Amino acid sequence: MLPQATLRKILYGSKGFRIRVPIASCTLAAGAEEVYRRVRRAVEELKLDAEVYTVGCTGLCFMDPWIEIAKEGQPPALYGNVKPDQVPQILKRYLEGDLSGATAVRFKTDSRDPPSLDELDYWRLQTRYVSRNCGLINPESIEDYVETGGYSGLKRALSMSREKVIEEVKASGLRGRGGAGFPTWFKWKVAYEQKSDVKYVICNGDEGDPGAFMNRLLAESDPHRVLEGLIIAGYAIGATKGFIFVRAEKPLMADRLEKAVNDARRAGFLGKNILDSGFDFDVEVYRSAGAFVCGEETALIAAIEGRSRPRQRPPYPATSGLWGKPTVINNVETLAHVATIFQSGVAEFTKYGTEKSKGTKMFCVTGAVKRTGVYEVPVGTKIKTLVFDIAGGPPEGRKVKAVQIGGPSGGCIPAELMDLEMDYESLQSYGAIMGSGGLVVIDDGNCMVDVAKFFTGFTLAESCGKCLPCRVGMKQLSNILEKITSGTGTIDDIELAQELGESIAKSSLCALGGTAPNPILSTLRYFKHEYVEHVVNRRCPAKVCAKLVKYVIDPALCRGCIQCAKTCPTGAISGSPGEVHRVREELCAKCGQCLIACPFGAIRKV
Amino acid sequence: MVDTVRVYVNGVQVEVPRNAFVIDAVEKAGFRVPVLCYLEGLFEEATCRICVVLVNGRVVPSCRFPVSEEAKIVTEGDELTRYRRTNLELLLSTHRVKCWSCIRKSNCSLLEVSKQLGIEGLPVCSECPLIGDECLITKGEPCLGPLTVAGCSAECPRYGAPCVGCRGYLSDPRIWEDATVELYRKYRVDVKEIEATMKFFWSNLPERLREVVTKGGKP
Repeated sequence: MLPQATLRKILYGSKGFRIRVPIASCTLAAGAEEVYRRVRRAVEELKLDAEVYTVGCTGLCFMDPWIEIAKEGQPPALYGNVKPDQVPQILKRYLEGDLSGATAVRFKTDSRDPPSLDELDYWRLQTRYVSRNCGLINPESIEDYVETGGYSGLKRALSMSREKVIEEVKASGLRGRGGAGFPTWFKWKVAYEQKSDVKYVICNGDEGDPGAFMNRLLAESDPHRVLEGLIIAGYAIGATKGFIFVRAEKPLMADRLEKAVNDARRAGFLGKNILDSGFDFDVEVYRSAGAFVCGEETALIAAIEGRSRPRQRPPYPATSGLWGKPTVINNVETLAHVATIFQSGVAEFTKYGTEKSKGTKMFCVTGAVKRTGVYEVPVGTKIKTLVFDIAGGPPEGRKVKAVQIGGPSGGCIPAELMDLEMDYESLQSYGAIMGSGGLVVIDDGNCMVDVAKFFTGFTLAESCGKCLPCRVGMKQLSNILEKITSGTGTIDDIELAQELGESIAKSSLCALGGTAPNPILSTLRYFKHEYVEHVVNRRCPAKVCAKLVKYVIDPALCRGCIQCAKTCPTGAISGSPGEVHRVREELCAKCGQCLIACPFGAIRKV
Repeated sequence: MVDTVRVYVNGVQVEVPRNAFVIDAVEKAGFRVPVLCYLEGLFEEATCRICVVLVNGRVVPSCRFPVSEEAKIVTEGDELTRYRRTNLELLLSTHRVKCWSCIRKSNCSLLEVSKQLGIEGLPVCSECPLIGDECLITKGEPCLGPLTVAGCSAECPRYGAPCVGCRGYLSDPRIWEDATVELYRKYRVDVKEIEATMKFFWSNLPERLREVVTKGGKP
C-alpha cells in the first residue's frame, strides 16, 4: 500500500543497510533484547556500516524473535526464531548472498530465494490496513510515521468542517472495534451536538481479555496512528482534551504513546492552534491500575475520575461522561482506523468487509494453532480461513473442537460452524461476540466444561462487585461448574446454570455482567452432551477434570522401572523394581507427572 | 411550565417530568415495583436489580433509568418475576438468615420483598413477634421456628405453643447451624426433645441436616 520508493527507503534506510530488530512486549518476552544486543555487537565486530533499527512487531508471534536484514542490492530477508548465538552466522551468510536460512524475503529478486512474504498464506491472506506499519517503522520516530503518510489525515480533517468529518466517518461505515460494534460516527455526532464548554475524547487501550493483544501491538508498533485518530476525533466533536487510557502493566505501550504525544506536540500536531486551524487540543496518557471492568466505558470514565465502577447507562458518555461532560470513547483500533481512513480515503476502506460492517479487523489467534499471532483480515472473513489457512490449524494429531471468540465475554463457536463469516451480527446470532477480536482455538484435548469454568473464574475475579447479579450470580455459576467438574453435579444443576446465566445476562448493570455468562451459555448450547456426560456418567470425555479421571498402569506395558514412583509427589505409586506398579487412587493428586515420566507409555488416564 | 413527557405504564398513560426516572412514572400510574437498594436522593446506583422493568422491551432498572417520550413500561410479567426472584435468591444466598435475633425483625424490606415474590427459605421466626427473652427457646421449649418454612404467620409461637414444623423444614444447612449454635445449644434445649418435636419429618430429613443438630452445630 505504500509507494515502492517510500517502502524501499524505509526498508533500506539512509545507509542502504538496515537491520531491524523488533522491540515490543511480545518479542521482548521471546528474548529480543538479547538478540538486539548481539546484532549490535556483530555489526561492530564485522565492522559493517549498518543501522540497527528498532521496530515494532509484525504480529507474527510464532516467529518471535525475528530480525530483518536489508542491504541495498539484496532482498530484505526475515529470519524467524533467532537465537542470539546464531546472529553473527546469519549476518555473514546474508552478506555472502546466501539467503537459505531466511524464513521469508520481502520481495524476490531470484527464483532460488526463500518464499516472499506474499507467497506465504499467513501474509498473503491478510489485509494489512491499520497494521501496515507494524514491524516496518520505528515506533519512536515521528519522522518514520510522517514518511509513510502520517498526519496527512489530520491535515485533511482539519481542512474540513466538523460536520464533514463526521459525514466522512459515516460514509466509511466504521464501527467500534472494541466489541459491541457501535457506529463510530453516531457517538461523535451525539457528542458534537451537545452544548458544552468542555468535551473529552478518550482512547480506550485497557484491553484486558485473555488472548487479545492487538491494541497493545498496534500502539507499541505504530503509536502515532492511534494518536492521529484521537486528534481527528477530538476535532470532530470539538473536544479540548484527550486521554489515552493505558494499563500500567503494559509499560512499553504507555511509554511509546507518551513519547508519541510529546513528539507530536513538538511537531505542532498537538497543543494550541494545531496546524493553523485554530483548533486547540492536548492529550494525556493515563496509566490505569488495570482492571477488566475498565474496558467498560462508564467504569473507564470513573477510573479517570478516581473511582472505578461502572454506572447505569443512560445517560451515555456522549452526553454526560467524564466529569459530567460529553465524552467520546473509542478503542485503539477504531482510532487507528479513523487515521487511516483520513489518510487514504473512504473508498480504500469500504473496499473490504461486508454489507453491514466495512473494513478490516485485527484478530489475535492463540491456543491450539501452529502459528499464533495477530492477523488483520477483512470483516466477514470465514473463521476457517483465519484458523486453518492463516494460523495453520491445530498441531499434528489434534483436532479443533471449538473457537472461543471475544474472550471471556464472548462465546465458543463449535468446529462445525467454521464456515461462519466473522462479522458483528453473525457472531452475535451464534452466541459469541466479536469483542476485541481474540480467538482462542480449543482442541480436542480440552474439556468444554473446564473451558467455561476458566472463563467464569476470570470474570468472577474481575467483577467489580457493584451489582448483585454479577457479584453473587457469577460466584454461584462458578460453584455450579465446580460441582459439575468434580462429579457431584446433577442434571438440575445444568438447567439451573442455564437459567441463572440468562438472568445474569439480562439484569446486570454493565456489559461485563451482561456478557459474563456467555461462555457457559454458548458451551451449553453447543456442547451440552459434555455437561450431561459429567453429571450422568461422572466422566470427563476429554479427561481433563481432575476429579473425574483416574490414572492406571497397564500391567502389560509396565517394566517396573520405578520412574513413576520416583516422580510421584504424593507417593501414590507403589511397587518394587522389576514388578508391575500400581496407583493407589486414594493418595493420587492427579497431577499427571507419572504420565510424563513413564518411558514405556504404560500409564493411561481413564 | 414544567417540561413533561408522556409514558405508558402497563397501558396507563401518565405525564411525568422529562428528567424523571421510570420508577416515578410507575408510582404516578399507581403501580409498584419491589425495590431494595433504592433510597431516593441517597442511593440511586441501581445495584440490586430487583426493581427491573421492561421499557420498550428492554430490561432496565426502574430506579435509575430515565423516562423517554412515548416509552412503554411493563412492570409485571413472567420474565421480570424470574429475574427478580433470581436476584433476590442470589442475595439471600449470601445472607445469613437469623431473623430470631435480628433487630429489624418485621421492619425488613428484604423480608417484605421476599414475601411479595414468594421466595422460600425463610424461617417461621421471620414472622414471629417473639424475640429476646420472650422467645420460647430461651425458656427451654423445643420450638422448631428457626428450622421451619415461614408462611403461617407464626400462629403457634404467637400464642405460646412451640412450633412443630408442620410446614416442612428449611433446606439451608447454614440456618440449621446458626439455630443450633445460637439457640438450641445456648439455651440447653435437649436434642432428644427436638427430635421428638420433629417427628413429622425427622425420618425423612437429609442426613447432613440431622447431623447439624445432633453434633451441636458442626456438620
